[in-house]
Amino acid sequence: MSEIRVNDLTHTFGKGTPEALTVLEGINLEFSSGSFTSIVGTSGCGKSTLLKMMAGLFDPSDGEMTLDGQVIKGTDRKRGMVFQQDAVFPWMTVAKNISYGPRIHGEPKAAQMAAETKWVEAVGLKGFEDRWPRELSGGMRKRVDIGRVYANDPDVLLMDEPFGALDAQTKERLQSDLLTTWKETQKTVIFVTHDLEEAIFLSDQVIVMSARPGRIRHIEDISLPRPRNDEMRLTPEFLDIKRKLWKMLDH
Amino acid sequence: MNSLKRILSGRLVLGALSIALVLGAYQFATVQPDNNPALLPPIPDIIASFFTNVEAGSLQQALWASLYRIFLGFFIGTSCALIIGCLVGWYKTIEFLIDPLIEAIRPIPPLAYIPIIIIWFGIEEFSRVLLISIACFMVCVVNVIAGMKNVPQVYVDAASTMGASRFQVFRTIAVPAATPFIITGYRIALAAAWTTLVAAELIAAPSGLGFMLQEGRRYFLTDQVMMIIVIIGACAFIMDRTFRAIQKRLMVWSEARD
Ligand SMILES: Nc1ncnc2c1ncn2[C@@H]1O[C@H](COP(=O)(O)OP(=O)(O)OP(=O)(O)O)[C@@H](O)[C@H]1O
Ligand SMILES: [Mg+2]
Repeated sequence: MSEIRVNDLTHTFGKGTPEALTVLEGINLEFSSGSFTSIVGTSGCGKSTLLKMMAGLFDPSDGEMTLDGQVIKGTDRKRGMVFQQDAVFPWMTVAKNISYGPRIHGEPKAAQMAAETKWVEAVGLKGFEDRWPRELSGGMRKRVDIGRVYANDPDVLLMDEPFGALDAQTKERLQSDLLTTWKETQKTVIFVTHDLEEAIFLSDQVIVMSARPGRIRHIEDISLPRPRNDEMRLTPEFLDIKRKLWKMLDH
Repeated sequence: MNSLKRILSGRLVLGALSIALVLGAYQFATVQPDNNPALLPPIPDIIASFFTNVEAGSLQQALWASLYRIFLGFFIGTSCALIIGCLVGWYKTIEFLIDPLIEAIRPIPPLAYIPIIIIWFGIEEFSRVLLISIACFMVCVVNVIAGMKNVPQVYVDAASTMGASRFQVFRTIAVPAATPFIITGYRIALAAAWTTLVAAELIAAPSGLGFMLQEGRRYFLTDQVMMIIVIIGACAFIMDRTFRAIQKRLMVWSEARD
C-alpha cells in the first residue's frame, strides 16, 4: 500500500522575508495506492516544488502530506524521484549509476549485477554499461536517471518531466515500458509533464494546475480502457479530453 | 612535408625553442668582455658546479634532506587539510565551530610563524617539517572546503531520495564530486611546500637545497647558486607533472581537458 494525501498545503519560499514568494496555495490531493497521476501546468506554477516536497527534500510551510497516513518528513527510499535536471553522477559509469541504490543498501554483489543488467537493458543502454556519463547524449543520460530510480524499486515514483528531452520514438517506447513496469509493480506514480498527450495516455487522472500562486484548477479522470496502445492516441475520446484540458491551461 | 611542419610547430619543439633562446641570451651575456663571472657565471661553470657537488656527494645529500622535508610536510599538511576540510565543508556544526578559526589564520603568511616556531621548538628538523605542514594545510584546506560547498545540490537530492544516509551521501557523493577541487588544493600545496622549504632552509638549516643556496651566497659561489636554482625548478616541475598525470587518472570521468 502506498497512498499519498496532500492536506491544505501551502508553500512560501523565504517566508517572513521581503522576498517571500508563495508558489503553492491550498492544495488538497489524493493519490490512491497504485494509481497513475499526471500533473500539467504552465512553467513556474510549482510542479517541481510539489514533487520535491513529496520526496521529502523540504517541508511545506503550511499543511502536510502523508504516505499511508504517516506524515512525510525527510527522504526515504520508498519515495523515489526522477529530477527535472540531469542528476547522473558523472564519476560513476552507467552501470554503477544504475546499481547505486542496491549498492548503498548493502545488497550482495550478485544482486547489484543483476540490477545493472536488467535496468541497463530496460532503458535501452545496452552496450554503454562501462561508459562515463560525459560520453552520453542528453537523452541517454536521462535514461540513466530513470533506470537508476527504477533499480532502487521505490513504492512511490515521482517523475519530473522525465521524457522531456527524448525524441518521439524513444519517448513512446519508454512510456509503454513505464506502463508495463507500473502494472507489474503496483507503484503509485506521480508524473509531471508539459505534454498533454503523454499525460492522458499514461494516467488514471490528470491534474491541471494554475499559476501564481499554484492551485489545482481541475482534476480529470481518464477512463480510457487499459492496457493502452498507441492507436488510442488518435481516437475521438482521447482528442476530446486533450482539447478540453488544453483550453484549461494558462496560455 | 606537412607532418614535419606539424612536429616543428608542436608543443615540445616550441617549448624547447623558448628555453634555448633564453639560455643562448644568457650565455651571450656571460661571454661579453666586461662580464663579472661572480655575478653572472657562464653556463659551463654552472654545469661544472653540478658535477663537483655530485662527486662530493653534497648535492645528493642536500636533495634528499629537502625532499624528505617536502614529502613529510606535504603529507601531513594535506592529510589534515583533507580530513578537516571535508568535515568543515559538509557538517554545518563543525563549520560554525572551525571555519572562523581558519578564516582568521588564513591571511597570515606561513613564514611569519618561523620566529615563534624557533622559539618553541628550536632549529630542529621538526620545526622545518612543521612549517611546511602548516603552509600546505592552509592553502589546501581552503580548496577542500570550497569543493565540498560546491557539490551540486541535485546529486545530493538524488542520493537522498534513493535512501542514502547523510554519511553515505558524504562518502559516495560529496567527496567524489569535490575531487577536482581537492586535487587542485593538493597541487597548490605542493607549490607552497617548495616556497616554504627554501625559505625555511635559507634561515635555519644545516642541510638541504636552501642551505646550499645560502652557502653559495656566503662564499660567492654564484655558479652553485645558479645550479641549485635550476635543480629546484626541475624538481618542482617533475613533481607537478607527476601530479598532473595522477590527476588525469583520477579524473577520467571529468569533462575538463588540459
Ligand atoms: N529554492 C527556491 N527558492 C525560491 N524560489 C524558488 C525555489 N525553487 C523554485 N522557486 C520558485 O517557485 C516557483 C515554482 O518553481 P517550480 O520549479 O516548482 O516550477 P515548475 O512548475 O516545476 O516549472 P517548470 O515547468 O518550468 O519546471 C518559481 O517561480 C520559482 O522561481
Ligand atoms: Mg519543474
